[in-house]
Amino acid sequence: MYRKLLAILFAAIFAFPAFAQENKGGVEGTVVNRNGRVPVPDAAITLYRGETVVQQSQAGSDGYFSFGNLPDGIYRMTVESPGFERSVVNVTVEGFMKDLMFVSLVATEALAIDIDDSNFAEFDMIDSGYDDAPSIIYGNDVYSNIAGYGFSQIRFRQRGYDSRTQDVYLSGVRLNDALTGYTPWSLWSGLNEATRNKEIENGLDMSGYGVGGYNGVTNIFATPSTMRKGYRFSVLTNSAFYRLRLMGSYATGEMDNGWSFAVNVSARIGGNDWVEGMYYRAFAYYLGAEKNWYDTHRLSLAIFGSPVQRGAQNGSTQEVYDLVGSNYYNSNWGYQNGKVRNARVRNNHEPVAVLKYSWTPDDRLGLDVTAIYRTGRNGYSALDWYDAPDPRPDYYRNLPSYFYNPESNMSNRDDPYLAGWAEEAWIYNYNNTQHINWDRLYNVNRNNIDAEYDPELKRSKYIQEERRTDQNDLNLNAQVKYRFDRWFTLKGGVNYRLNRTQYYKIVKDLLGGDYYVNIDQFAERDFAMEEEKIQNDLQYYLINGHAEMLQKGDRYGYDYTANVHDARLWADLDFEHGNWKAYLAAQGGYNTFWRFGNVQKGLFPDNSYGKSDVAGFFTWRAKAGATYINGPHRVWANVGYYNDAPYFASSFVSPRTRNSLTPNLTTEKTFSADLSYAFNKNGYSVRVTGFYSNISDQTDLMSFYDDSQNSFTNFAMTGIGQRHAGVELGFKVPVPVQGLSVVGALNWGDYIYTTTPHVIQTVDNNGEIVMDATVPYWKAHNIYQKDAAGNYVTDASGEYVVSKVQKHYVPSTPQIAASLGLDYSFNYLFAGIELQYFDKMYLDMNPLYRTDMAVMGPDVRWTPEEEEYMAAQERFPHAFVLSANIGKSWYIQRKYNIGFSLEVRNILNNRSVKTGGYEQTRLIDSEDFTRYYRFDSRYFYMVGVNYMLNIYFRF
Amino acid sequence: MLVAGAAALSFVSCDEFEPVFTGKYAEPEATRTYTKAEIEAEGIEFISIGELKQMYYDNGSMPLNIKEDIAVAGQVTTSDEEGNFYRSFYIQDETSGIEIKIGLTGLYNEYKLGQWVYVKLNGLTLGDYHGSLQVGYEDFTGEYETAYMGVRFLVEAHVLKGEPGQPLSPIEITADRMTDEELIGKYVVIRDVTYTNTLFCLAYVDPNLNHKDQSNRIFLDEDNKKAWGVITWAMSDTKFEEYLDAGNFDTATTGDNAHTVAELRAQGRIGTTAYSVTQYFEADGQTVGVRTSGYSKFSDHEILKEVRDGSATVDFTGILTLYDDEPQITLIDETGIHVNNDEV
Repeated sequence: MYRKLLAILFAAIFAFPAFAQENKGGVEGTVVNRNGRVPVPDAAITLYRGETVVQQSQAGSDGYFSFGNLPDGIYRMTVESPGFERSVVNVTVEGFMKDLMFVSLVATEALAIDIDDSNFAEFDMIDSGYDDAPSIIYGNDVYSNIAGYGFSQIRFRQRGYDSRTQDVYLSGVRLNDALTGYTPWSLWSGLNEATRNKEIENGLDMSGYGVGGYNGVTNIFATPSTMRKGYRFSVLTNSAFYRLRLMGSYATGEMDNGWSFAVNVSARIGGNDWVEGMYYRAFAYYLGAEKNWYDTHRLSLAIFGSPVQRGAQNGSTQEVYDLVGSNYYNSNWGYQNGKVRNARVRNNHEPVAVLKYSWTPDDRLGLDVTAIYRTGRNGYSALDWYDAPDPRPDYYRNLPSYFYNPESNMSNRDDPYLAGWAEEAWIYNYNNTQHINWDRLYNVNRNNIDAEYDPELKRSKYIQEERRTDQNDLNLNAQVKYRFDRWFTLKGGVNYRLNRTQYYKIVKDLLGGDYYVNIDQFAERDFAMEEEKIQNDLQYYLINGHAEMLQKGDRYGYDYTANVHDARLWADLDFEHGNWKAYLAAQGGYNTFWRFGNVQKGLFPDNSYGKSDVAGFFTWRAKAGATYINGPHRVWANVGYYNDAPYFASSFVSPRTRNSLTPNLTTEKTFSADLSYAFNKNGYSVRVTGFYSNISDQTDLMSFYDDSQNSFTNFAMTGIGQRHAGVELGFKVPVPVQGLSVVGALNWGDYIYTTTPHVIQTVDNNGEIVMDATVPYWKAHNIYQKDAAGNYVTDASGEYVVSKVQKHYVPSTPQIAASLGLDYSFNYLFAGIELQYFDKMYLDMNPLYRTDMAVMGPDVRWTPEEEEYMAAQERFPHAFVLSANIGKSWYIQRKYNIGFSLEVRNILNNRSVKTGGYEQTRLIDSEDFTRYYRFDSRYFYMVGVNYMLNIYFRF
Repeated sequence: MLVAGAAALSFVSCDEFEPVFTGKYAEPEATRTYTKAEIEAEGIEFISIGELKQMYYDNGSMPLNIKEDIAVAGQVTTSDEEGNFYRSFYIQDETSGIEIKIGLTGLYNEYKLGQWVYVKLNGLTLGDYHGSLQVGYEDFTGEYETAYMGVRFLVEAHVLKGEPGQPLSPIEITADRMTDEELIGKYVVIRDVTYTNTLFCLAYVDPNLNHKDQSNRIFLDEDNKKAWGVITWAMSDTKFEEYLDAGNFDTATTGDNAHTVAELRAQGRIGTTAYSVTQYFEADGQTVGVRTSGYSKFSDHEILKEVRDGSATVDFTGILTLYDDEPQITLIDETGIHVNNDEV
């Protein structure tokens, strides 16, 4: 034993001088984000001796760097990465590889603005059939730092893609909603501190947790050891969403005994200065514990939840906004005994538990096993009524336009005097015309005795219902990373998801009555004679002889369970050597789902109760890419192909009533590619990307209430295709004033529809198919040539001459978004001003207006005017928005950090910026029976000048 | 920190927070009702419904836009719950009854049978519809003598709710009195009428196209002296389709006599919708029509076999109206049909 030691000692002594002579010194370390030990990938590191550059390198994707063969001495090392303050460290090389451990970079996010789902107004869109799912883009480079927060107020979508395509991971597990695919931000709404540490990838870039999609990956770590040690408190007030936010967090960081703990709580309460009735009553909590054994085993458990109540805003037609004098009119609320009461309130509490085990026996191998369970309740309230006048204030029959329209051919809209009465009622708000009249609803309920059910109890005609989507979602994930060679790393994983969600609605408030009756009033209009057909719960009726008399809290209407099983297996081979990186990744899986009806619906007695047919799809995807880095230059490209299963929520013809799957369900296929270039040096930062995607065979289900059919009607569309192409540019250029830079971002996109989809229209109170047709004017319509007199021109064969084919665009995002501004950051004072420009924003289309039936009119004759009128897609006018911010941070006794940030957005108080909306799906008849007219569309507007003030304290 | 928090709280007004925090909303008060005295105090004079109707004839039987501060008081006698009345109700006092064209749906929710209603007439229009008088708004298009009021604000400014009351009992009438002006618009009962097995219904080839176009009209009229196999009070959409497909209407022709229903049906050109039907009964030689809307809840109820084969008579309770000199009864609901057979 002693002999061995002596031998080693001799060898060391003899070897040492050799080392010193041969420049065997070096430095190594890992570049991390100071805000928790999250590695910063690809940081540019330069070693200087005096003013001479000795060596330059790029840190790896795990943040690791190393410089070898350095002569002894003192070096200056600069570390730079986009989005971070430049770090300068003095390093002494002493003949061996010095491990600097962690080199921290501080994020240049001056604002500490937290963008989460509460930065977006809750839009009441459910009954419209359209989707409202804003995208949240976190910044990780010079483009997304600006676009992410700056473009959020216009509800910008990255590259025009639906938010479903944005992958959101929690602790390495994809957590997008199993039924709709939507991003799950609301699960941790208000937990900004706990979710602050994340890895962000854009576009097709790889994340390390799977093959990933084509619209970026955001992985939120959410484990206590990644949270920055210490206390953080903040008080925030803003005028656009909620009046007050209080947040507190504490993390121990990783302690010497290997344990880490973290807690985060917050409250967001109050209303705002712009939209009445929109309010927050939200809380959030996070608790996490983690244990690290010898840096080899790590086990963590985190439990968090966001109990949120928020009032929604409805979109109205421009006619209503003009009558009321405000683009922020909200028809969802009314006064009850003098207090504002909103009929549409979200009430969610969906806690999540994350259990994660990691094994890293050495730096070449890593294994992660994670289990995530999500449960709870998700409710959205609304008014329901039975055989009573529509209580919504902006119901079309309450508006002046229902009585008079200057277009004389519009059927039954010929009385300007009645229109005048309606107009006066709206403008002066006589008899509470502008709002829900809660008092009237209560009075109707109190005076309604229905002897058929009970001679004394009051039968409610109006109630407040709550529609529930209660999920039980289990995710099991295992992932391995193995660097089996100096150049190659193999990653692979398996994921299994089991989701069982209950869809139902309950009576939330009887509004002064004693009971409500569980029948389908839409069915009653057509089948009044057939009692069985009007039952929502046929079995109850058969046993009891009448429909159920519902009490508060009882389920009614519909009640079914969604079952989704999804299994995936993936592998990713990474190559890294010198200036090159490349990867090849593939995934295969199987996705299956079915509906289980819990009540037998009278209209569909054979097809509503029990298990539906099971839909199953093989899913797969493949991606490849390469990166070349040379000093400050970086070029990279990705290409991918996806074959994804459709979502449960769009795959049934009328999921509330029956088990019928949409015919011709198929997987969605996407081809996507992007090519990027970036430059980072000395404060200059540029990134430019060109992207292209072609999506085909999309499926969509839109459900609207159509009172001309007296029922909910469903449009099940299949075969939708889109093409997205464009350029993203971000830059930061320092200016000869210290700390000042010019910053800008540009997205120039062209996102169009490319196919003629197929639509099947059904009506909920009738098993029949109303329409089974193509939508020939979905992707484009023709503009026909006119002569000088304004008449349409025909050619020799009598055909009308087409002067232009007008394409239809992907809606709800500006396809051109640009920002230019100044950023100042020096000595913990931050300030900025930016001017934004948005253009090429289009309104969401409904399929009805683009069918032959709607275009040709009741006389089934096509004319060029009808096509140009009915199929046209509205384009919003362009908009300029100016915003500015300022913030300062102080350090007291090197330990306490106190600061504030103040932002004022839309300084010019531009109140005419449409952020979205939708077409209504009704048609108006014409007096001469030759054509139809469209209903007015509904819009949402961006709020005017608003501020956000955040005061924080950390130690 | 505390100072900052307190300062932030000062931005907030308490109103914003209250329902948010308590989640409790106080129950509203009862709706305001009016009294005759209150209205008279405004300088408005009450006249009887009979006097009101006379004003129309005094105006040369032309639509009259009322400019005087007068009002009528009456009790509601109809309900739109069953769907046979739509967007209007009738009111009645001792002298007569008249239709008020409100123009809103679901009226029975707020105007129950027997409800006292005061109608301020200044600004409204009195007009005739095929022999029955109505109160409504001026019809700007001139197509009808009165229009539905339609705008809730307008309705609430003119039609005021008084005290609730007991539903009225129907007035017993005999066949010879069915065209009396003072009974028109009132809630009556006529007894022992027999079915004539004839009806009237106006249908369309394509209900979405011009209703006035003769080529689009199909008359199922009494000239052919038959009931066309329609054994229900009226026809809902599905019921019409049932009769159509069974060939009941095949021998009928379009209004211009160009095509028969059989022809058009073979070509699949007949669209379906609900249709109102007037079933003809007679008592003492006087024909009385029972008009039922295709959208009513009892439209597809069958006329009892004994009624159809003449072995039983019927008592009808409903509103008496006049249509082109022909008396009609409009039922409120099925309880208005009482068949006089041995099972009472």
